[in-house]
Amino acid sequence: MEDLQYVILKKERVHDFISTLSKIQKLVAPVSKGYNNFAFEEVSSGSEIALKYIPTILPLKKFFMPQRETLLEFKIAKGTHAEPVVEYEPMTIFGAHTCDLAGVQCLNMVFSERPKDYNYLTRKNKITLIGLECNEYCDEYASCHLVNASFPSGGYDLFFTDLGDYFIVHVNTQTGDEIVDTTESFEKADTSHIKELKRLRDTKSKIFSNEVSIERRYMPELFDMSFRARVWKALEERCLSCGNCTNVCPTCYCFDIRDELELNLKRGVRYRVWDSCQLEPFARVAGGINFRKERSARQRHRYYRKFRYPVDRFSRFFCTGCGRCTRTCMAGISLKETLNELIKESEDRVWKKWL
Amino acid sequence: MKKPKVGIFDFACCEGCQLQIANIGEDVLDVLGSIDVVEWREVMSEKWGKNLDIAIVEGSITNPHAVKRIQKIRKKAKIVIAYGSCATIGGVNGMKNNFNLDDIRKYVYGDSYRFFPTEMTKAVHQIVKVDYFVNGCPVYIPEFVAVLKAVLQGIPYYVPDYPVCVECKLNENVCMYDRKVTCLGPVTRAGCNAWCINNCNICYGCRGMVSNPNEKGAQDVLAKYKIPMDLILNKMNMYNKCRELG
Repeated sequence: MEDLQYVILKKERVHDFISTLSKIQKLVAPVSKGYNNFAFEEVSSGSEIALKYIPTILPLKKFFMPQRETLLEFKIAKGTHAEPVVEYEPMTIFGAHTCDLAGVQCLNMVFSERPKDYNYLTRKNKITLIGLECNEYCDEYASCHLVNASFPSGGYDLFFTDLGDYFIVHVNTQTGDEIVDTTESFEKADTSHIKELKRLRDTKSKIFSNEVSIERRYMPELFDMSFRARVWKALEERCLSCGNCTNVCPTCYCFDIRDELELNLKRGVRYRVWDSCQLEPFARVAGGINFRKERSARQRHRYYRKFRYPVDRFSRFFCTGCGRCTRTCMAGISLKETLNELIKESEDRVWKKWL
Repeated sequence: MKKPKVGIFDFACCEGCQLQIANIGEDVLDVLGSIDVVEWREVMSEKWGKNLDIAIVEGSITNPHAVKRIQKIRKKAKIVIAYGSCATIGGVNGMKNNFNLDDIRKYVYGDSYRFFPTEMTKAVHQIVKVDYFVNGCPVYIPEFVAVLKAVLQGIPYYVPDYPVCVECKLNENVCMYDRKVTCLGPVTRAGCNAWCINNCNICYGCRGMVSNPNEKGAQDVLAKYKIPMDLILNKMNMYNKCRELG
């Protein structure tokens, strides 16, 4: 830990800092919606922000890939003409937990693959990210340690850690440095502050442990032998196919592209909207065939898209352990339970082989 | 392109969905500019009586006279749009089907009930072929405009075949079940942008059910929230009774 990269923000100066920050550009932060629900919304003062919050209803992807995004404007009267459109808005996001920062890192990898998605990348470059450390678990649904997202590992401009009377802040980028300079709310961190931070991280490493009884490195193997597991069949009867799990997932990025004409049928736009592999029409193709008709197959696909396929393609899990899918599921399908059942079933299978 | 000749007709309904056209706001000029309305009892006295390009039909079919009338409209119109819950799924008029038809007639018309023949309430597509559906009680204007655009382009419009939860979640509403309130969003077809829940009301199921609802799973959810089965069935039947007629 290099001292130079750290500054501190005293608690009594937080409100000043937030209002100054909100004047620079649009500022969004976690806000309470009641009933233990939270959402990232625009704020202008510190009192609006819920510093202690469980993961918001929707993750940060709503800012990085809007639910409806225009890609093209076209005219079809007197020959066709099309103009590409890139929609973006400069903004600062304050208070992102490590699970959500990991989610943005996943999206960055996906949209940076060739062919690059310039709509996404342009927008991403206009967004400043300020992280906020979880000193303890948000609730029992989180599984961030399993997927290595319980501690900060980059992907932010500034990163706040609550140390009682003050926040210690890691300055990670030039943008972060500029915020420290312009807001004039910070002080230099000395070695005692850094020691405090180390102490907190030590305590944290005792609190956070694998939420599912498997070592991280064995996960791909577990999935390799679980494609025909009974666990998936059991989900067939439970899943309502409401798509909540994918809509709230920080790394689900599937979208649909549609054209829409104005009523005069002369001009129109091409736009993309979020889509979900859990919905009945997602895999329905010409001729009325649906290649993932069973809910069990759709749920299995979701789990493989988190724990197996991205390991080959991006060398990481696409689950950030935020627990949103479990919290939001009407049918109470739990990510941790599903993984535990998969482990149990695979153990049965291994034992039977030896007996 | 010649503007299509459009007739707007009503059967058993409150005519509120027609009124929604007036509620379109500024876009009403674009909508009325793209079509030629030749018959619309609610706002004009002229009758057309000839062939039509598009018939927009509101209301459900509840008596022998209505059956004949809708069949006549179908014959005259190239395209029939079922407009509003009563037309697309039978709607609240379907509650009649809970009772003996003679009892109903006596209750409403007293001794002269014999002069008023009635039938089980049906949605328009349960009598004649329907080309486009605009669900909702009342219809959701952006969806009506989307359907109209599809008609003008001659392409199909697919009513979303997934639950209202999808759109509700995208609007970041606090789930009604978290507020300890029963909501029909999980089994009702989307397309309304979770209009009611956005305004702190519950979903009443006015758009009809998704095509492949998971009944077993839905029962488990009801059990989890300790909601009695007949309560939810009653809620469901408020709009969806006619689905039993196939």
